[in-house]
Formats: sequence, C-alpha cells, structure tokens
Amino acid sequence: MLPIEVGRSLGSQWPCRDVQARQLASLLSPHVPSPPTIVVHGISATCKSTILRGVLSTLEVPHAIIRSSECITGRHLLTKILWNTLDALGQKEEWEKAGKGRCEHISGLAVLLEECLAARTSDTSKKFVLVLDEIDKQREAPHTLLSALARLGEIIPSLCVVLVLSSTPRPLFLQSAAVPHISFPPYTRKEAIDIILTSNAPVVDGLPDETSLRVYPYFVFTVYDSLIGPTAGSIPNFRSICERLWPKFVAPVVNGEAPPGGNTEWDFSRLLVKNRSIFRHQGESALVHRIVPEETSTAITKQKTPLSNVTMMPSALPSLPYFSTLILTSAYLASHTPQRLDTIFFSKFSSSSLSARNKRAHHRRRLKVLSQAQAEERQAANDDPSTPNKRGKGKRTKTRITKSTLSSAFATSSATTSATGSGSGITGPSTILTARSFPLERLLAIYHAIDPNPPATPLRVAAVADRIYAELATLRRLRLVVPAAGHNGAASSSGNTTADAGDKWTVNVSGEWVGELAKGIGVEVGEWLAGGLD
Amino acid sequence: MDPDGLNDALGLSDDKSQNLGAYIYQPPKHGKAGERPSKRRKVSVSGNEPAQIDRQRFVPLLNGDENAQSVKLRHDSYQQLWSEQEHKIQAILEDVDAGVLTEVSSFVRETSSQTCNGCIPTALVTVGSNVSSLSRLLSRLNEQLISTEEGSVVVLESGDAPNLKTTLKNIIRATITNTDGNDGYQRFLTDRSGPRLLGYDLDLLHDYVQRKGTKKLVLALRDSEAFDTGLLTDLLSLFKSWIDRIPFTILLGISTSVELFEGRLPRSCVALLQGKHFEVQEAGNCVDRIYESLQTASSTQLWLGRNITSTLFEITSDYFQSPEAFSRMVKYAYMSHFFANPLAVLFAKPVPIALLSQRKLCEVIRNLPSFRIFCEDLVEEGSTKQVRDMLENDGYLLKETIRCLDAGQQKMRSIFQAVLAVHVCLQYTQNTGKATVSDLSVRALSGELADSTLVDDMIAMMKALDSNKLDELIGRLQDILYNEQLGAIKANLKLLLETCPESGSLRSGYNINSTVTTTTVVQSRVQLSKGKAELSEQDVEYTKIIDQLLVFLQDYLAETLIRPQDMFLHEAFLFDLRNPLKETFAPRPRFAIERALATPFDYLLSSSDATATKISAKQPATAILYQLYLESGALVNVHDLWRAFSGVFENEEGDSCDDRVVMSLFYSALSELKTFGVIKNSRKKTDHLAKSAWMGL
Repeated sequence: MLPIEVGRSLGSQWPCRDVQARQLASLLSPHVPSPPTIVVHGISATCKSTILRGVLSTLEVPHAIIRSSECITGRHLLTKILWNTLDALGQKEEWEKAGKGRCEHISGLAVLLEECLAARTSDTSKKFVLVLDEIDKQREAPHTLLSALARLGEIIPSLCVVLVLSSTPRPLFLQSAAVPHISFPPYTRKEAIDIILTSNAPVVDGLPDETSLRVYPYFVFTVYDSLIGPTAGSIPNFRSICERLWPKFVAPVVNGEAPPGGNTEWDFSRLLVKNRSIFRHQGESALVHRIVPEETSTAITKQKTPLSNVTMMPSALPSLPYFSTLILTSAYLASHTPQRLDTIFFSKFSSSSLSARNKRAHHRRRLKVLSQAQAEERQAANDDPSTPNKRGKGKRTKTRITKSTLSSAFATSSATTSATGSGSGITGPSTILTARSFPLERLLAIYHAIDPNPPATPLRVAAVADRIYAELATLRRLRLVVPAAGHNGAASSSGNTTADAGDKWTVNVSGEWVGELAKGIGVEVGEWLAGGLD
Repeated sequence: MDPDGLNDALGLSDDKSQNLGAYIYQPPKHGKAGERPSKRRKVSVSGNEPAQIDRQRFVPLLNGDENAQSVKLRHDSYQQLWSEQEHKIQAILEDVDAGVLTEVSSFVRETSSQTCNGCIPTALVTVGSNVSSLSRLLSRLNEQLISTEEGSVVVLESGDAPNLKTTLKNIIRATITNTDGNDGYQRFLTDRSGPRLLGYDLDLLHDYVQRKGTKKLVLALRDSEAFDTGLLTDLLSLFKSWIDRIPFTILLGISTSVELFEGRLPRSCVALLQGKHFEVQEAGNCVDRIYESLQTASSTQLWLGRNITSTLFEITSDYFQSPEAFSRMVKYAYMSHFFANPLAVLFAKPVPIALLSQRKLCEVIRNLPSFRIFCEDLVEEGSTKQVRDMLENDGYLLKETIRCLDAGQQKMRSIFQAVLAVHVCLQYTQNTGKATVSDLSVRALSGELADSTLVDDMIAMMKALDSNKLDELIGRLQDILYNEQLGAIKANLKLLLETCPESGSLRSGYNINSTVTTTTVVQSRVQLSKGKAELSEQDVEYTKIIDQLLVFLQDYLAETLIRPQDMFLHEAFLFDLRNPLKETFAPRPRFAIERALATPFDYLLSSSDATATKISAKQPATAILYQLYLESGALVNVHDLWRAFSGVFENEEGDSCDDRVVMSLFYSALSELKTFGVIKNSRKKTDHLAKSAWMGL
C-alpha cells in the first residue's frame, strides 16, 4: 500500500493529519528499510498515538506498543518491552529462553531482543516496530534511558524504535544525528472547526433540521473564537463544550419564543444577541472541569432564562467543632502574623484595654500604608479573573480587600524580617503561600490569647494543651494544618505521626474560610492580623 | 478474694507496679547484647480461660465483703443491659447509613467510564466530622458487591500509601486477599503461566479481574485529604490509562469540602475524574438519635444524669467525635455504674431476695442520702411505723426497696415521655432555634423543664394554633402518651370538625388575626382601638377545646417533670458522676509531666517534710534542672545553668559535694530534658540553649 493511500484511508476517520500519516507510512513501509529510530512529538490531544496505531495496522507491520505511563519503574518498562515483543512475535510460550522473562538492564534487553527477533521462523528480513508511547513521562527513568533506547535500532538491524514524546524535544537530545522527527502540531482554527463540523450538530428535540444546519457552523465558529482559541483547548474539549452549549443556545427556538424586531424566524445573530450571557458565564465554567458536573441536562429543557441557572449551588462549607475551629484559627494567625509582632497583637497584659486595642490598630494601619501601592496593583489583578460570586456580595468585597492588603503586607514585612517564607518560589494564591511555619508552643500561646471564653480559673487551663494535641492530629489528617517540613518534602511525611515540640507547622487553607469559621465562634480574625479590619 | 489472686487472674502479677500511682519503670532485662530477643510463640487461646477472667473482672465492693454471687449478678446484669442498648445503637447507625448506602451502591452499579466521558467514575463522600461512618459504609458496600459477585471494595488509607510502588502493591494485595484470602494471594502469584510479575504490576490486577469477571472494582480512599497530592495524581493517571481494562471506580472520603479538596489537586488530575457527590449525615444528628433512643426507650432501666449528658454533648459539639466514640463513652458510664455501685445488684431479674439479704447491703441502702430524705418525708406524713420497719427489718426494707426502684424507674420513664411530648409540641410552635431532645433532657434531668420559659412560651404559642395543626399535634401526642383525657379532647375536636367541614381551619380566640384594630379619625387625630372580632360559634367551641388541652398539658407536665434527684434510690438508677468520664476520656500527659518535673514530691515520697516548694538536692536531678530552666528566659547560657545547678548541691552539702558527680548528674539531666523536647541547641548564640516549651500552656 502506498503512503498516499494510507493517508487517504486514515484521513476519513482522523481528518487533518494527512501529512503526518503519509510521512509515517513512508518511513515504516514494510517494503523499504526503516530508520533505526523515529521521534514523533506533539502536545497532548494531537492524535499522535492514534495515527501511529492506524498506520501500523494498515501497513500490517509487526509491532509492539508500550504505554510508558503504565510502567512504574525503569525495570518495569524494560520487562514490559520484552514481554510485549514476545507477545507480538507469538513467542510467548518460549519465555524461559528469553532470560526467563526477566530484564533488568537495557544492555540485557538489547541481547534478548536480538535473540527473539533472530528466532523468528518466517522471513528474517522483515522489520519489527517498537512503539514507546509517552516515553518522556517515564517514572524513575535513568537519564540515559532515551539515548540508550534509540541505540537499540542501530544494534538490531531489523528493529525500528518509535519514540512518542509529548514535549518538544531539544536538538540532539538522543545524542545521535539525523533521527527523523515527525511533528504533530496543534490543530489550527480552520482544522479544528472542520473536525467539529464533520460530525453533525447535536440533536435537540423540537429543533428543525434546517435551522440546525444553518446556525450550527456559525455557532461553532463563535465557540472557537470566544472560548477554545484563547485557552488553547483541545479537540475533545471543544466538542464537549459545543455539545453542552448548543441546546442552551437554541433554547429560544425550541421554546417557541418570538424573535425580536417583528421577524418571524430566528437567525444566528439574533440568537447570539439573546444568548450573550451563555458565553460569558456558562462557557467559562464549561472550560473548567469539575469532578461533580453541574446538573445541566435537566435544566435545559425547562429553563427559560439561563442566567438564573448560572449561580452554582455553593456546597456548604464544612463546619468544624468549636474547639477545632479555635485551634485552626490560632494556627492561621500564627502562620500569618510576623513573629516580631506577637507581643503587640497577642500580649495578655491589658489585652482588652483601650491602649492595647489602639496599639494593634496602629500597627495594622502602618503595615497597610506600607503596602498600599502593591495592594492596589494586586487588587486590580484580582479583579479581572474573578469568577461569578458564590456568596453574599457584601462579605465578598470586604474579604477581598483584607486578603489582598494582607498578602502584600506580608510580602513587605517578610522582606524586612529575616524572610523565612521568601525562600520558596512564590506562585499561585498568595494567602496560602505566604503562610509561614510556627512552632507548636506559639500556637498554644496564641490559642490562649484569642480564646473568646477564657476559663474563669486559670488553674484549670493546664488540660488545654493536651486536648489541643488530639485535635491537632485530626486537623493534620485533614491537611488543614501540616508539618512545615512536609509542606515542601511531600511524600516523606505522609506516614509518620511523630511530633516534636520543636517541630514547625503551617496552616494549609485559605484565609477566607478560616475567617468565616472563626466568626461563627465569635472570633474576629481581622483584629489580630496585620492590615485586617480597616 | 485476696488481691494476689485477682492480679493473677488479670495477668498483672508479673508487674505489680502497674497498680501504683507512680513507680520506677524498669525495662525488661535483655540477655547478652547482640543476642536476638526470643520470638514469642503464637498460642491459640483456649476457650474457657477468658471466660474465667471475664467473671472476675468485677471486684467485690463493700470493702471486699460483697459475696461472689452478687458480683456475678452485677456483671451479668451489666452485660445484659448493655447488649440491649448496643443493639439499639447498631440499628440506629445502620439506619442512618442506609440512605447513603443505597445511593452509593446504585452509583457504583450504574456508572462506568463510558457514562463518564471516559473519566474515572468517582464518588465523593463528604463525611464531615463523622469520620467513622465511612468505614461502616464501605464494609457494607463490600459485602453487597461480593455477595452479588459484581466486584469488591478495596479500602486504602493514607498510611498505606507512602509511594507509588507500595501503594500499588497494597492495592493489588488487598483486592486479592479480600476475596481469596492471604493464601489465595500467594497462590495467585505463583500459579500463573509465564514469568513472575513484579508485585506492583497492574497486569496482576488485570489478570485477576479477568479471572473473576469483576465488573466493579471500587477503590476507596478513606482519608483523601491525607494523601500526598503528587502521589494521588500519579495514581489516578495510572488508573485512567488502565480504565479500559480494569473497571475502576474511585470513592473518595472527604472530611472538609469538595471545593477544598478539588482546589488542592492539579487541574490535570481533576480532569481525570467525574462523578457524584454524596453526603453522610452529620455526627451530631446521629448522636442525638442515639441518646434519644437510649434514654427514652420504654425498656431503659438505667439513665444518664444531667452532668453526664451535658459532658457528652459538650464533647460532641466541641471536638471531632464519631457516634462510635459517643457510644463508647456511654458504655463506659454504664460500666462504671455497675463496677462501682453495690446497688447495681438490684437490677438483676428476678431479684434474688435471699441473696440480697446481707447486712451490708441493707446498711448501704440505709446510708443513702435519698433514703434519709425518703424517711423524713414519711415521718412528716405520719407513717412512722413504716420508717421504723425499714430501719429495723432487713426483709421489709428490701421489699420496699425493690418496690420503690420499680416505681422510680417508672417515674423516670414518664419524665422522658414528657420530654418527648414537649419536643413534639415545640415542633409545632417553634419556628426558629429547634431545641433538641438532648437539650430538653438536660433540663428535665435537673428538674427545670416544667417551669422553664421554653415551656411557657410553648404553651402561649399553642393557644394560637389552628385546628388542622392541632389535630395533627394531638395525634402525635397520642402516640407518645396513652391518656384518656387526651383521647376525650381528641374526640371533641373531631366532633367539632365534623360539624363544620366547610369552614376550613378553625381559629381560636387567642389568635392575633381574630383581634381587630379599628381606626377612627376624630378631629384629625387617629384613634386606634382594639376589639375582639366576632367569633363564630365553632371558633368559640374550638377555643374551649384548646383551653382544655392546655390545662391538661400544664397539669401533666407539672406532675411528671419532677426532680430525679428527689426520688428515693435515684443513686441506683441514675448515673450522674461526671468525673470518671471526663478524666478517662481526656488524659493530661503534658500536665502530668510538667507537674512531676516542677514539683516532684507531688508524686514521689519525700524523706523530709520541709522541702515542699523549694529546690533542693534531694529532688531528682532532672526536676532540679527543670525548675532552674523555668526561671530562665528564652535563651539560657549553659554555663549559667551549670553554676546554678551546682549551687543547689553546694548549698546543701557544703564542701563534701563532689564536683564530678554533680557534673555527671547535670549532664544526664540535661540530656533527659532534651529527650523531653523541652530544650534544644540554639543556633543564634553559641553555648546557649533555646527553650522550646513553656509551662502551663
């Protein structure tokens, strides 16, 4: 079969990948010798593996495909390569010969593969293709793995190794020259829209076919331009958004609403004007995958004004028991108050007197002024991507100011102090990352300072520390408060449960939630925070 | 029984020190260094041995004079009483879970990766603080799936997942042992053609799924938050790539909220999952139900008093606590009662009079505070004969006691009936701030419910009820109380409603709507005057019925809701000691250690009396050092500490003090404090120690 025919036969099913299919077909054709190594690369969802599989099965070349993402270790990968090769060659019963099915090193693999391929009964000159899918994502791979695998094809003449990468390879990354690379670029606007339009519009009950035919192409164009193009969405993403939005888009037609302006028929521009909000709200939320999908299917048929459906049901925030809430609040404060300000904010002496309050307020204000400029900048940045509001409007604006001023206040204050937190690269939501570690004793001390119902007799206090440890263990299990070492080191700490008095901890949740929880038990977090309450 | 025999029975004889409040810990002596400790042989426990221990678990009370039979009786009646209550609790727990269980199991059955757009089907179960409910749910789901041969549930905890390899190994192992047992797992590994696969190879699981024909393999992560995010991402992407061959369903137990959980995962990982959200009922609700059934059931014999109730509910609202933990605390309360109260013998059925007629027990009864009050009341009533009999005749006293116990229990039951009745009424009258049965019980147990403002408000609100609601309310009251008077009121109401079916619901004269405000303008002044609207004849009738009901209710409540502490023998059927419960369930290790170090003679016997508070060389070295440490600031110079330490010894022993001995004491004390985690080396200043614990926090 000629490459052009292969391309054509695959093109009907997988459009817009004609060039790549032909390239692959000519390189892997059973009648011409193949290069020892081929690199296929392109970002995810560009049809690499599918086209490769299609070409190989159309050409009827013996091959084995190994999904590298399923191999846990390098050794696992090698064993799998050997096994799948034996399987593809029909020599599975003879595994005893092939190193007893065990393969621990790549040099061993070369020998074993050579033996297997030589043992083929039929035409020995026939080539064998080994496809290693997503090989750049291999876990626990030695750094020489890729170049070593590329050598396999040179050592064994009848073998052709195809490496499928999802990242763009650096020049000469295989340490050998002239390896053919086949690139699968992301689909262009035209290609993507063509692909979507090859399948028909999703069926909507009560919509005339003719309207659907007329409006759907425009709809797909609009979806691409507004949602997919700017976010570099993939084809499956594109398709699912089209499927989700289409019924809502044509809802006015289905419901038999009268078109505006005295016209008798809906055309695309009228529908678009009517449904602008769909693209704004639902489109944006459609881009974000959630584990629990919003119940849309039932709403479509009845819903007349899609706007009212937009606001997501805010799943009730978890509430913690009283004592745990207080501990979490103290942990949050311990993480977010510079230690040098402890005596100002948490000093037990005259904590309720006017002068102490004034002092706290003064410091909060000073820190705020210091960071005013940055706060505004940050707020401007915060405003843009803010998604539709979930909770009450009034609360939201308040917390937003607090949050941004706070975070910038800490950026400055941590710069002036010895900067424990600035060591780690700061990206992402600032409230979490600016949380600094604190020793347990500080948490206990702050707990006593903010306790809204302090015990009447100080003698009874002694038991509190012991009770705190038990609750802290639960909070830790919920990953609300974590040991500071585990924050960066990750896996090492998940199993052990030891806690030393000197160990440091950090809080691991956003301030908004803690603030609300604390309000529920009568603690105003802002009062204790630098920059809060103003 | 001699104490040694008891110790033998309890297996304590080898280490008597366990009974002492403070003792010196002596680690078991090992043989030569380097020799391996001998392995403990596994011995299957023979059947009759534990039974014997079980019987002897209760000690004779009354200074050891209680005979063995009554000890046994106490134990047996405890067993019987608690097993009844435990059944009830179990039933409630199962009932609570039933709804979620059916939802989850139908989700598991109906969804597959095809229905989820190729994502891994995921059930998110938020359990809130009700952490234990998930394991009950999972084990029942597992039973269901195995019995229908559809698949199984594998439970994974964060502790099982230190890294990807071990996690996969654990998953595979747990899946196979779940159905085939441990031997099955070994056989599975060896009895397969081809080379032995690596333990973490999912090919194994694939093989297993094919052999068994498994349709659903549910993988439950019990504490999803505790899993390392990177690991979870790896694991999920691996499952996703296998999902075309192994029918995974993921079940995530979440204690905080779905948003928080989702927010912590990377987007790419979230994109692999799709599913549904389930909510398990909150623990508080469940606990309320358990409490209600324990206290209000008609078969209840022992009640928890006010102090215990409030302690229990304080803990439930303040801390993370599962319903199981709650029932354990209740169990402890029951146990303490039967363990330490000789009157608990009276619970045995039928009451063995012959056995009870010991002098001691009668003395106990006569010494009860409630007995004295009872007698005083009797004397006031003039029945001195009865009092004399009770004081002198043991047989008569016992008979009277048993009669009173029954009567007292009956009264307690009716108190809780009244509580339920009030609860029902409140549901009809109160629109905000629902009072739970437990709240009402606390009030009733302290005898305050009858004349509380809550009940007054309730009565006032009931006046305004319309006939439909009232009809319903009376119906529900009748379920709780069997009372002729109530029946008569109900019949009257029915009669009235039948006579006027067309006029809709009737209103009483107390209803606000039936007062009319008239406005008259007199010389540009507005005059407001209130007057009763004309009531129809039926409404007047209806008002009468309401009055009847209210009078009945007030009488009933005043009569039933008495103070339990005023009843004779309340010590036997009402357990209300706060202390064993609080102390046992909230131990204070840190407080104890600090106290032992700061004032060692609170625990150790002092040789001289004068050394109450002062630091002296007679105290253990660690304690001396700790007290010096308490006097210092955040950073301590070691040399200063040493000067102070040796000063203590020099003061007391003068020149005879050997510096080298003191120095070695100092070092050992210092290292002990370090082990406690109280001090550590400071990085700020050389030769300084940093304080890392403060006393009294």
